[in-house]
Amino acid sequence: MPLFVLFYRLMVRPLFREPVRTLLTILAIALGVAVVLAIDLAGSAATGSFRSSMETLAGESDLEVVTSGGVPENVVGTLATLPYSIRVSPRIEDYGVIVDTKKALPLIGLDLVAEGSAYAQSETQKTAESQTQDDSEHVFEHLGDADSIWVGSSVGYKTGRRVELLINDQVRKYTVRGVYPDSHGNESAIVMDLAAAQNALCRYGRVDRILLKVPGTPGLEDWQQRLRTVLPAGVEVRPQGTGTNENRRMLAAFGWNLRLLSYISLVVGAFLIYNTISVSVVRRRPEIGIVRALGASRGVILSAFVGEAVCFGLAGALIGLPLGRLMATGAVRLMAATVESLYVSSRPGTIELNAESVLLALVIGVGVAVASSYSPAREGSQVSPVEAMARGRREYDVRVHKARDLWLALALGLAAAVASRAPAVAGKPFLGYLAAILLVAAAALAMPAFVDALTSVSSKLLGKLFGVEAMLASRSLAASLRRTSVLVGALSTAIAMMTAVGIMVGSFRQTVVLWMSDQLPADLYLRPAGSAAADRHPTLSSGLAEELARLPGVAAVERLRAYEISYQDMPATLASADLNVLRSYHHSDFFSGRPKAQVLAELRDSNAVIVSEPFTYKHHLKTGDSITLSLGETQASFLITDVYYDYSSERGSTAPSNLAIYVSPGAQLDVVRAEIEKATADRRVLLFSNRDLRSEAIRIFDRTFAITYALEAVAVLVAVMGIAGALLALVIDRRRELGLLHFLGAATGQVRKLIRVEAGLLGLLANFAGLALGFALSLILIYVINKQSFGWTIRFHWPVEVLLGALTVVYGATVLAGLYPAKVAVHLNPLEVVHEE
Amino acid sequence: MSILSLQDVSKDYLTDGQPVHALNGLSLNVERGEFVALVGRSGCGKSTLLNLAGAMDFPTSGKVLVDGVSTSSLKDGGLTRLRRERVGFIFQSFQLLHTLTVFENVELPLLLAGKRYPREVAQERLAWVNLEGLGDRYPHQLSGGQMQRVAIARALIHSPSILLADEPTGNLDTTTGNVILELLRRLTREQNTAIVVATHSLEAASLANTLVRLRDGKIEEITRC
Ligand SMILES: Nc1ncnc2c1ncn2[C@@H]1O[C@H](COP(=O)(O)OP(=O)(O)OP(=O)(O)O)[C@@H](O)[C@H]1O
Ligand SMILES: [Mg+2]
Repeated sequence: MPLFVLFYRLMVRPLFREPVRTLLTILAIALGVAVVLAIDLAGSAATGSFRSSMETLAGESDLEVVTSGGVPENVVGTLATLPYSIRVSPRIEDYGVIVDTKKALPLIGLDLVAEGSAYAQSETQKTAESQTQDDSEHVFEHLGDADSIWVGSSVGYKTGRRVELLINDQVRKYTVRGVYPDSHGNESAIVMDLAAAQNALCRYGRVDRILLKVPGTPGLEDWQQRLRTVLPAGVEVRPQGTGTNENRRMLAAFGWNLRLLSYISLVVGAFLIYNTISVSVVRRRPEIGIVRALGASRGVILSAFVGEAVCFGLAGALIGLPLGRLMATGAVRLMAATVESLYVSSRPGTIELNAESVLLALVIGVGVAVASSYSPAREGSQVSPVEAMARGRREYDVRVHKARDLWLALALGLAAAVASRAPAVAGKPFLGYLAAILLVAAAALAMPAFVDALTSVSSKLLGKLFGVEAMLASRSLAASLRRTSVLVGALSTAIAMMTAVGIMVGSFRQTVVLWMSDQLPADLYLRPAGSAAADRHPTLSSGLAEELARLPGVAAVERLRAYEISYQDMPATLASADLNVLRSYHHSDFFSGRPKAQVLAELRDSNAVIVSEPFTYKHHLKTGDSITLSLGETQASFLITDVYYDYSSERGSTAPSNLAIYVSPGAQLDVVRAEIEKATADRRVLLFSNRDLRSEAIRIFDRTFAITYALEAVAVLVAVMGIAGALLALVIDRRRELGLLHFLGAATGQVRKLIRVEAGLLGLLANFAGLALGFALSLILIYVINKQSFGWTIRFHWPVEVLLGALTVVYGATVLAGLYPAKVAVHLNPLEVVHEE
Repeated sequence: MSILSLQDVSKDYLTDGQPVHALNGLSLNVERGEFVALVGRSGCGKSTLLNLAGAMDFPTSGKVLVDGVSTSSLKDGGLTRLRRERVGFIFQSFQLLHTLTVFENVELPLLLAGKRYPREVAQERLAWVNLEGLGDRYPHQLSGGQMQRVAIARALIHSPSILLADEPTGNLDTTTGNVILELLRRLTREQNTAIVVATHSLEAASLANTLVRLRDGKIEEITRC
């Protein structure tokens, strides 16, 4: 108890004497905690609730029977007539868009006569009380009608309502025959009879999926075995929801990377705590000596300083909690956009701030504080009573092992290089992350040598260029080398991450732009008006291509068809195209570098396929290997004839099902476009010019990566706040010197300039170091982490404007961070500070 | 005209709402080249007087004229110019900047005043205080006496008309202190610089042209030798 009193008097009370600095440190920690918490909360909201919309109404099924291009309908009969009591539910699955609201909903065709009457019945029971007593026979009457649909209650339609639906490229009229309750977190869907759905989607004789409910014994695996024997080759039976799980795994990789990004702010926060406690130790050396002489043990000193850090961590965590909850809302919005543009339409779940997240915030806040304060606290505890009381002539003369640290940095850098060459572990680029962490640590260790070298070189030059204030600023930064190094380290880490992610995203973007100029050579593109996503590819009417090809001014129409397939339990998109058109208009890059005519000739002849590069990477394949795909009821083997670059989605698909229209050389694009619009007036299709399509793709791209920019911005904000706090401490600690300058004839403006130059110098050093480290990190991100977790190959590209802009903003922010400390410096009373000793 | 003139100067400090009369209706004239020693018990107002004389602080009532200009009438820019051109300070604890070399410390006032090539002057001033050849050292590589000599060189770099020294020997042993005082007297005489030294040392008092004895913020006695 007396120790607590002492702790309060000696450690906590002084914090209130510099409220701004204390607050800045706490806020920096709070932001770090908040970001981690926000991403954690948002991640579980955006991905936890993630389920392919198609799992809506899946009921309690165990297994699903699927194959690319649809399961032949007779399989349903085969399964139903087996001598087991299996519930067999064939389904047609696609998407429909409600024309009025433009809302895309899963469109599910069920065998309503056999199973779906449940939906109709529940509606009947509800309406029975309010409306005229409906004969249930009356409901069943419409079951088979081609225009009957049932919708979830959240759509907000009443029975009897006429609705226009856009299905693929055509609009049809339907009547709502019933509403089923979907309030239990289920996404609502449009339900129709199997036959009606087949009709609407022109999918005759096939169903998309057959859901099975098997008896509890034997196990699922046995049932899979047993059923496989009766299924035609190529038709797969697997646990229900496998496709969703595959998607979920992809999404998890994305979330995992975001989570790592979110830790950057925390790392920056750790630097700042380290700095704060170091400053605290340096300032109190005499105090430590006195307390030690009066009987305090080393352990007491150690825990006092760690305790100080815990106060910061705790306060930061407590502020970080509500802040994180707030930020999570924004993060969910950004992440949902990503999820939607990359994967499926999914609605984010609610954000829940539960005991777990509170614990997480406390653990990371306090944990980071303790971890980063330990080293300076230990140093404080090793101050001997005599040493501290005989206060050294150089106040800031804290031991810095420049040379030793530089060697260590070199060793860590080498270790990073080695780690970056290692392959992925269990599909995750753990060693790539390790390499990144090692690099950051190496940079932190090399920082004192770097700062020392640069400031000693710069002080003369700066003095010449910017006057005595710049010289003094540079000197004092060099003199408090450790403090400066830590600050530069903190800011440069934030800048490096920003640079690295900036380069990575910029390179990716540039690669996409390049890819599009290869993959989108046509002048106009046509696709169904319903929104497409990676797991759904609405189709166009089959005759349309020929129809358009006959139009004047149209040179060629290329048909592209994408299917979702599963290859070795990973989702992939199978795309087919008219090879003749491909040959004449594409100039895509093949990995082998062979002329594309040759590759395409091979492709046409045999059972050959070309696969995208991410696909080979994911499945460890190369040219010359053969792959086996389930297509319809056959298992077909294909020889991989070549590999091409592809970036449309990480599964390796080409464009979604659409038409690529090449305009004849002499024809005018506008005229042809108008012509096509006229010809497709009765169909719901979207016509894009090449440029529209590209800018749309880039817009989606930018939206997808918006959250990464947001995360970086927070990290930089944390660093800048830290700089402000640290400069404030620097001003307080150098008040004697600053006061003296007044005696020696310094004008107020000169003192102000001194501090601002110091801030600017810190920013400049950090920008230099950050850019260098960021470049190295970007290489790891591009060539190791991304490649291993997503299979993307990105061509390196310096996004010069973006980086220049960002660095300028950061630099400006650092200079701004110097404003308040400069003001404090100017308002110091020189009489008090000089005569203080 | 006196280089420094205090006319019926009072200085009150407020501590916890209670006024403390640090100086109480004090008048004093200091001529060019004059060596003035301020003596008196701790708390009698020596430092306060020096601060007013250096325009680092301002009287509650009365006037402080430096070279005929009232310090209270000057704005920040004028005060800065006054310090840059007329006044030099020497402190008990030397107050050198640890991050700068001896040369750089000495040059600092000229640099702050925007002078471009101060090195020659600095070299000359260091010669005055017998520290030739130590210009590239850092303060922590010097003895206390050497440090105070550097401080003197710095205070003289811009050839001030008045030097204000607050217990310049307070942190030094008697012998070294005497050497410093002797040096100060010689230099101020050579340069015709007035110097006001607040001191507890009797040697300092014996060197002075004028001995001012303060008590409770008032002049108790002025002795001219
Ligand atoms: N900033 C201040 N606030 C309040 N009182 C002050 C302040 N500065 C000085 N005083 C008071 O004014 C009186 C004169 O102080 P001053 O520092 O001038 O004494 P001094 O003669 O220099 O003493 P010493 O020989 O100990 O240095 C003292 O009573 C002191 O307590
Ligand atoms: Mg005094």
